[in-house]
Amino acid sequence: MLEPATLEERRIYYREEWDITQVPDFIIQSVENREFGFDHFGKGPNDRYKVFNTPEYLKRFLKAKTPYAAYCSVAFYEKPRKRDGWIKSELVFDVDAKDIPVRTCGCDDVCEICLGEAKEIVKGLIDTLKGDLGLKNIHLVYSGRGYHLRFLDENVMEMNSDVRSQILKYVVGADLPRDKYDDDYEIYNLEHFSIPFGYPRVFTQRVKYTIEHLTPDSKLDDVNQKLLKDVLTNRNLLERNQWGLFKTNIGPIRYKKVIKAITSLNMGLVDAKVTIDLKRILRLPSSLHSKVSMRCTEVKNIETFDPFRDAVPDFVWERKG
Amino acid sequence: MIPISFINPLSDEGKQIVIEDGGDLERIYDENTELIDTIYSIKAQEISDDSLIPKNYSDLVIKRVEWFVKRKGDPEYKHKKYAYLFNRKITKFDTIAFYILCQAIGIKFGPNSRESRAIVELQGYLTENRLEELLTSERREITQQILNNLIVQDRIRWTHLADLISSKKINMQDLVLKDGDVILDFEDFIEFFGDVIKKRQPEKMYNLFIGNRIKELIIIKMIMQKTEDYIKSVHQRANIIEPNPKLLKIADEVSEVLSKEIRHYSSFSGREAVKASPLNYDQFPPCIKKALEGIKSGGRNEVIVLFLTPFLSYSRLNPSVFRSNTTLKVSDADPDLNITRNEILPMIYESANRCNPPLFDDQPQEKININAKLGFGMHDDLSLQHEGETHWYTPMSCDKVKMNMPSLCKPDDICKRLKEINPLFYYIDQMKNKGQ
Repeated sequence: MLEPATLEERRIYYREEWDITQVPDFIIQSVENREFGFDHFGKGPNDRYKVFNTPEYLKRFLKAKTPYAAYCSVAFYEKPRKRDGWIKSELVFDVDAKDIPVRTCGCDDVCEICLGEAKEIVKGLIDTLKGDLGLKNIHLVYSGRGYHLRFLDENVMEMNSDVRSQILKYVVGADLPRDKYDDDYEIYNLEHFSIPFGYPRVFTQRVKYTIEHLTPDSKLDDVNQKLLKDVLTNRNLLERNQWGLFKTNIGPIRYKKVIKAITSLNMGLVDAKVTIDLKRILRLPSSLHSKVSMRCTEVKNIETFDPFRDAVPDFVWERKG
Repeated sequence: MIPISFINPLSDEGKQIVIEDGGDLERIYDENTELIDTIYSIKAQEISDDSLIPKNYSDLVIKRVEWFVKRKGDPEYKHKKYAYLFNRKITKFDTIAFYILCQAIGIKFGPNSRESRAIVELQGYLTENRLEELLTSERREITQQILNNLIVQDRIRWTHLADLISSKKINMQDLVLKDGDVILDFEDFIEFFGDVIKKRQPEKMYNLFIGNRIKELIIIKMIMQKTEDYIKSVHQRANIIEPNPKLLKIADEVSEVLSKEIRHYSSFSGREAVKASPLNYDQFPPCIKKALEGIKSGGRNEVIVLFLTPFLSYSRLNPSVFRSNTTLKVSDADPDLNITRNEILPMIYESANRCNPPLFDDQPQEKININAKLGFGMHDDLSLQHEGETHWYTPMSCDKVKMNMPSLCKPDDICKRLKEINPLFYYIDQMKNKGQ
């Protein structure tokens, strides 16, 4: 498992195992408006601007070419062959297990542990995107090395990169919430963890996740080994949401340092470029991720989904046998 | 009771005022005794100097603009000289002046001009200042009334504020969201969050987080957006209808006031303002130095056009852009465009040529894009005639650099000391340290 697929295995996959019915409906229904791209030699998707007027043409292409990787645009175009006449784009969040800023596994590539952590992050993002932002029509795709969270909610699909960038910063907790609030009479200092709603609540959840996953080897800006050690020693308090005590034990100034460092780390929870790029191409669900021999798979139930069971092509099992 | 149009001239009530007035543009330079009498009747107004009193609609338009620039930039600003602008008695005249101003700017300069941006900002600032002068009860009442008029549904979806979020007039993080709705009502707030708020009174939390603050923010920003939309619609109609010469004259006068006042106040208001001076490579932040070396992988266009062009042009021509609160054009700092042509563009072009492949080899159209980002429209040449057709892009923040071009961002100690806000601040800081 996780070894590259050979040319022969790619052929077996597309000709015997794969079928067009495995491509999710949210792609099939808009196939003629999307740009497709292919990587034939493992050197990046340089065969781009491909258009298929019907799913049947896409099927014939994949079965004939058995590409190293297949992609399709998140954008819908009037003229996808020229990437012209942009209509709208899915709102996408790309969580790549390899690029998560704090990983407890310490592996060089991806493994069961960091894929599990990617899944945890995705669950947090979904909660916020649904619960706060009220987004609907969500499709979760296991990419082969992480997850693509794809929203086809008409309310956001026409939004530009600036709005998407603000959505991104909101859901990952990329900005320190302000700590001074005033009514008509007085100014109050309120820490993020004492505000159980709005952005401060989201921020607290993300910070908690990151602290819970720090390891003694984690690198945080402006946080020395001693401070990191203190954070690790006291983080059990956060299991019971005892933030006040955690802050007191760390020391208020040092606490600020930690929170600031984590804020900038949070930006790395998802690949920001993918979210703000309206014309991105993403791995086609059901296609083969040849570098790791895994199937890019739409996830129907995140709780029960196990990539090492549900996204492994048959030829890999046979390879083992 | 506060007239709605005093706060929102674009309301139905405001439109009705214009209809009832008849909209006769021929008399905007005629002395208006009703206006003069109204202003003299306002006790808080200083009347010792006759020049403080607008005599007609044209004067009132100019006074509005003058107030805006002085209020933002003049350390010796005297509120009582403009007290009438904050008195509800002025509503009828002020509403008409608002429409004259927007129409003049829309016809003459269009929605993307420096003048248009200033007028939109003016209206937002005026609304904010007017609200601040009201009694708390009046303020709450008028805010709710305007909000009800502006928003048709019971609840606002955050997606309806997308334009305001996109133009950064509203920060998403300031909104309290639940299932896509922006929570504004006290009852909604208690229903959704009453149970999870511990150790504090939910009423207090509501007042701190929502209260009137968010509502006011939303109406101010919506009025700004609607002003911008109105100027745009006037501009579109102006292509069909012959413009009134009196409006064109007022537009020129407004532009002159903006330029004159901005030049005057920007020369001393920036307490730590940095003088424009020749670019000094040694003082550039690491990201700019890296970009100047040329980009070897993807993202050449973004780096050259969106990152380098604004940084180099503002560093050279208007380094105090973020301090001055005023919008300048390139030609305000470089009237004959010699600096832009001989110093700034060559530096941008050289970096473009150092890219792999050289940017203009396969994408020569990016030269036009560079002109556009300097505010000169989508044209091959840099011509004063086209200035204002596009917006002079301000330097990208560190946040945006991290998001869009992470490979460029390798902060050094100076970046960290300056809290990584904007590469321009790094340059300013270094230039000051070197006494340049």
